[in-house]
Amino acid sequence: MEHADPRELQSLQYYLNEYGQQAEVFARQLEMMDQQRVEAFAAIETLRSLGEAQDGTVLLPIGGGVSVRAAVPDPEKVLVAIGADVTVERSNEDAISFLEGRARELEASEKKVAETIENLKRQMNEIAARLNAAYRQQQQTVPGR
Amino acid sequence: MFEGLKNKLQNIKEKFGHSIKDAAGEAVREEVRPETPTSAHAEVSEPVFEPETPAVEPLPETRAPEPEPVPRTPPPEAPAVPEEEPAVEPKRFGGIVSRVKTLVLERELVISEKDIEEPLFELEMVLLENDVALEVTDAIIGYMREDLVGSHRKLGTPVDEIVMSALRGALLNVLGDGLDLLEYIKVHERPVKILITGVNGTGKTTSIAKMAHYLEANGYSVVLGAGDTFRAGAIDQIVEHGRRLDIKVIKHQEGSDPAAVLYDTVEYAQGHGIDVVLADTAGRFHNRKNLMNQLEKIRRVMKPDLVVYVDEAVAGNDAVVRAKDFNDLVGTDAVMLTKADMDSKGGAAISITQTIGKPILFLGTGQAYSDIVPFRPEAVVDELLGVEE
Repeated sequence: MEHADPRELQSLQYYLNEYGQQAEVFARQLEMMDQQRVEAFAAIETLRSLGEAQDGTVLLPIGGGVSVRAAVPDPEKVLVAIGADVTVERSNEDAISFLEGRARELEASEKKVAETIENLKRQMNEIAARLNAAYRQQQQTVPGR
Repeated sequence: MFEGLKNKLQNIKEKFGHSIKDAAGEAVREEVRPETPTSAHAEVSEPVFEPETPAVEPLPETRAPEPEPVPRTPPPEAPAVPEEEPAVEPKRFGGIVSRVKTLVLERELVISEKDIEEPLFELEMVLLENDVALEVTDAIIGYMREDLVGSHRKLGTPVDEIVMSALRGALLNVLGDGLDLLEYIKVHERPVKILITGVNGTGKTTSIAKMAHYLEANGYSVVLGAGDTFRAGAIDQIVEHGRRLDIKVIKHQEGSDPAAVLYDTVEYAQGHGIDVVLADTAGRFHNRKNLMNQLEKIRRVMKPDLVVYVDEAVAGNDAVVRAKDFNDLVGTDAVMLTKADMDSKGGAAISITQTIGKPILFLGTGQAYSDIVPFRPEAVVDELLGVEE
């Protein structure tokens, strides 16, 4: 770098901030997807154990770490929110395969988002390196200050 | 883009195909069974058919003769038989069967609702699971049913063609005609004023920069109005975009009246012969009354030609609901969906036009300025149905 143009420095700093913000948004998205996937697996586990519960009684968490005993009259029929604000009745088995499919899709999407975050980080590292070099040069050109 | 939906539609297409093929197969079996015993003697006595249709096992590829016997004429030319033939073929009736087969081929299959009930239900589930709004799903299923049920199809018509055509028609119906911005600008008085609205954090300002880049690349001059005076750093952001793209940005102080900024932007464009004004606004939720009133004031002052609502494709049905609320409250003319490259479902892209009755203008597909795709319904449907260009 011949000399550090203040406007160039400002622009690089701006890119760095913007990419940082974008990376944060994607990281939040990734976290949400991961949470949804964990929820799907938990639901699959619950669905599988519904039929095994004695007298059809299960523990239903109501928040704050409190659960109540609840009787499930028909563990073979469950209600599934499939998307577009639509809930349908499905068999236990179908609900499990739906959730497994959803988990697979989430995993694929997570992979994509993770790649985007990686790209952003790589670009941020490049910009940071350029910024550092520019600042170092600026310090060298104004010795004694 | 929309890979999840694309893969599922591929499966559904095949299921429709199987159902229709099964229906066609039954029709053939029904035709063959009653006709062979009764007409056998009469048909065999027909001299015309004996020379060219020996009583051997007909191969599926056998070209069938003309069904109507023409006395004392040279052997008739075989008609062109479509490639896709019903596979059911009794082995023993030789020329008679060939003739019956020809009759069936030349006859039509009427697809009944029962034939496609199952794949239609599966299609409905696939669409809903991919966040296609309920009313849009109903519309697509309705079009499919209308197109397929009761329709007369030549038995030889390739089944894939029938299904593809129905699915393509149904999707195109809900996607509408789209809006070609370049064409719109060409036929409107300059400057064309485009106001960009939407909720917070969906990538409005970046989308404005992408649109500006797209318009400049297509030969139109652009000025940007820094109308988001509410969010900290929004003015700096659009100014930086303007600097990178070498596009003039009109700005006031943070917290100033956005209507005044955008009025000045339009004045600047008029004074400098600029083709397009792209006006940024603060992100707002439709339930924030003061911000919605402010938007109303901007509209009165700036008199935009187009109000474009920006939201994320990945928001799925939420984006559709928000777009509808925005449209009901302040009115929108078109929609841009960002982060479409991250959306494997495609629900918002398919649902918005039908739900709010306004076209999608662009899809944002990445981080770079050039990552913006004009929304062309045909191209999107081809992409979804895996049609190679």
